Amino acid sequence: MDRRSMFTRLFTPHPASPGASKFTNAVLRTQDNKEVKFYDDLIRGKQVVINMMYAKCHGACPLVTTVMKRTYRDLKDRVGKDVFFYSISVKPQDDTPAALKHYAKTRNADLPGWYFLTGDPYDIETIRFRLFGMNHPGIDLDFAMHSGSFRIINDTTNHWGHAQAFASQKNILKRIAWADPTKSYAEWAAESRARQVLIYQDVKKYGYRRDV
Amino acid sequence: MPKKRANSRKSKREKQSKGTISRRDVLKIGAAAGAVAVIAPTMLTSRKALAFQWGVPEPLVRCVSTAASPPHTPFVDELLIPFPAIDHPLNPQPTKSANQNAGEWDRDDHQRWEQFTPAHVTTELEARPGLHRFHSDFGESYIWGFNGVYPGPMVLNRYSNPTIVRFRNSLPTNSVTFGRPEITIHLHNGHHGSESDGFAGDWFPSGFWKDNLYPNCYAGLDTFGGNGDVRERMGTFWYHDHRAEFTANNNVLGLNGMFLVYDETDPGHEHPSAGSLRLPGYYGVTDIPIILTDKRFCALDAQGRNEMVNANGGDKFIVNGKIQPRMTVRNRKYRFRILSTGPTKAQWDLTLIGPTGNVETIVVVATDANFLEHPVPVDDGVNKDNSNAIVGDTIVTPGALRVNVAERYDVIIDFGKYPVGSKLYLKEATRQNVNPGNVNPPGLPPNLNIGNVVMRFDVVNKETWFPADTPDIPETLCTFPPICTPDTTFEWTFNRDPAGSNPRLFRINHRVFDPELPQHCVVKGTCEEWLINNNDDVGTNWAHPVHIHFEEFRILKRFKNDNGVSVELPVTPLSRGRKDVTKVEPGESALIRMNFRDYVGKYLIHCHNMGHEDAFMMVAWHIVPDAASKAACDALIVQGNKEFEAKLRNEEVS
Repeated sequence: MDRRSMFTRLFTPHPASPGASKFTNAVLRTQDNKEVKFYDDLIRGKQVVINMMYAKCHGACPLVTTVMKRTYRDLKDRVGKDVFFYSISVKPQDDTPAALKHYAKTRNADLPGWYFLTGDPYDIETIRFRLFGMNHPGIDLDFAMHSGSFRIINDTTNHWGHAQAFASQKNILKRIAWADPTKSYAEWAAESRARQVLIYQDVKKYGYRRDV
Repeated sequence: MPKKRANSRKSKREKQSKGTISRRDVLKIGAAAGAVAVIAPTMLTSRKALAFQWGVPEPLVRCVSTAASPPHTPFVDELLIPFPAIDHPLNPQPTKSANQNAGEWDRDDHQRWEQFTPAHVTTELEARPGLHRFHSDFGESYIWGFNGVYPGPMVLNRYSNPTIVRFRNSLPTNSVTFGRPEITIHLHNGHHGSESDGFAGDWFPSGFWKDNLYPNCYAGLDTFGGNGDVRERMGTFWYHDHRAEFTANNNVLGLNGMFLVYDETDPGHEHPSAGSLRLPGYYGVTDIPIILTDKRFCALDAQGRNEMVNANGGDKFIVNGKIQPRMTVRNRKYRFRILSTGPTKAQWDLTLIGPTGNVETIVVVATDANFLEHPVPVDDGVNKDNSNAIVGDTIVTPGALRVNVAERYDVIIDFGKYPVGSKLYLKEATRQNVNPGNVNPPGLPPNLNIGNVVMRFDVVNKETWFPADTPDIPETLCTFPPICTPDTTFEWTFNRDPAGSNPRLFRINHRVFDPELPQHCVVKGTCEEWLINNNDDVGTNWAHPVHIHFEEFRILKRFKNDNGVSVELPVTPLSRGRKDVTKVEPGESALIRMNFRDYVGKYLIHCHNMGHEDAFMMVAWHIVPDAASKAACDALIVQGNKEFEAKLRNEEVS
């Protein structure tokens, strides 16, 4: 399998997906020093969880990486198949692919389906604005602003959600599940019925619907 | 069902569908072709197909623009009055438990079902795409609205007539717009069970429906019996989508509407009747909703449409779905129910400008659906202190009525004071984009810019058939229930995390919205005193209009953190009433008291700036039935805190 087809499968984006015009098709490098196109190879037709970090960070980044590792484990074998994790460096001038490889290795985070990405600083700044921008200079210019939140995107349903690393693990998984591929009516109905059972159990136990 | 009836219905249907192929025929044909197994599942189970039955073509592309909206001619369109929702029986009949066989989404059983059923009124509001023309100069715009219209149908109701509204989701799942086809509808600020409250995490997808039971009771059922404490009456509600993360998007697309509840004091007519305050009260005639929002539009596209931009703040002011409309008013008193639906426009500083350019008096009779004890006139004259446009101790816009996101103000304007033929203008402090350079049309008072005008009132002579003027506004409108004695206190802190900390996010008590995890547990039937802080930096514009679901609160005190010194601020006359939204400016705090009666379940406190709300500034709190459940609920919070702290220590959580 060549390098390009490893990432590019027959994924179809949602008809409303803004595509490369929004995500950009910037060429980034993974921790294994592979060239990837941001939209075509990483986003198109995929469900992805993206955070911003940098290797020398001693604030939230290692904590967030731990949370991602836990989430990776909770998603079992979904990561690398239909969910992908991307950690994009906000200090690409310092973070070479080798530095990111080192960061990932030392934290046992060098896992299949999880890419640490670096590239041209201008491209990365553009991607950061496009993904995390809130149209507010006070928030957007502060690159630390979003280091604790995950952007959850599903290009096949055009879902743009987000999760917060310091929310409960249950909540992070739920928000990733909210971005799951479009379900059929029957699948939704089955999910709803299963939850109804849990609701009744909850009401019986606690007197009110609590955590379903 | 009797066979005869079924047959007659069938024959009627066949008569109607003469010459066309009905769905039944399609199935027959399908069966004949031996393809029923292929066709039937898609036809019977997918309600996605419905989206196309409304005949609303999707926009060609998602409209993205930061340019000014196309120019428009002011005062061309007459003010639109939202059509009342029509009561009709529901099929299948509403049930206490979710009727999942018929496509209802999961929910807990309706509380107090036996007490409030059979419902007097049942109606159905279906979220579906539609086309709406915001201005005659514009093409149509693609919207999502209840029953396909914007603003949503006006639900007119009466206390002691319980209502069931069936919210049906028929939104397209493949829309190119910015909305999310998943909804959960909150009635702001109804007193009802959590299952009917539109909890942000309990959204349901396209193809399903959910019954919300609105008992139309006064709070205090348990203590007062009957239909509750009449002093807890509310009048002006609104309903809107509350989908976590996408509230702003779906509301920009149009998923909101208003909901009025009448009772003896405000009976929906103006005849003398027992207990009536005799305020202007014919809906759509002398009792007019003013639903405010702002939008941005793209240029005319190939489909002949001007599509909406998903903008945090637009450059066109919209009143009831029309840009700068005019309203023909007779020379008598009118009542306006002003609502700001946001999503993010921080405030409307509204003043009424008379024909000569003076600020004229608006009399506020109700704040957030609740009558004030005494009417409060707002103008820039002697009643300066009564202005609501006070931040700290500065009057920002003299004489203005400040309407924050989701606040409602019922105001009375007496057009009888002005000569027939005069024109009055509703002015906003900020400007919209009318035409390049905002050139004033002739006839505008000299000190007024057309960009500031929200709408125009044209005073005409009252025809003989038009309802006679109502008597003067009573000096006393109601008696407030006493402010309750708190059983316990709690503190909510709204902020973005301070500069230098990492990460920085909108949070409440350092937490983000987590549907499963409460941050506070309240025992049913108690009263609590809450301190609501806005810890954002003084001098910034991070004000938060805080909304608490379930019951109305009373503001006792306001404080301002003045360089570490706590300074008490005056509670303005318009904040002394019963409220459900209060804006807390950076560095300010509000001390409130609130009851938690009659129902249990999950409720929310959040910033009603929908941009902040979608960026996590919302947390859940629970009302629990008794002390034992409170212990279990508190254990949930402790567990959540443990997990949070473990994550902060970079430990793996088990």
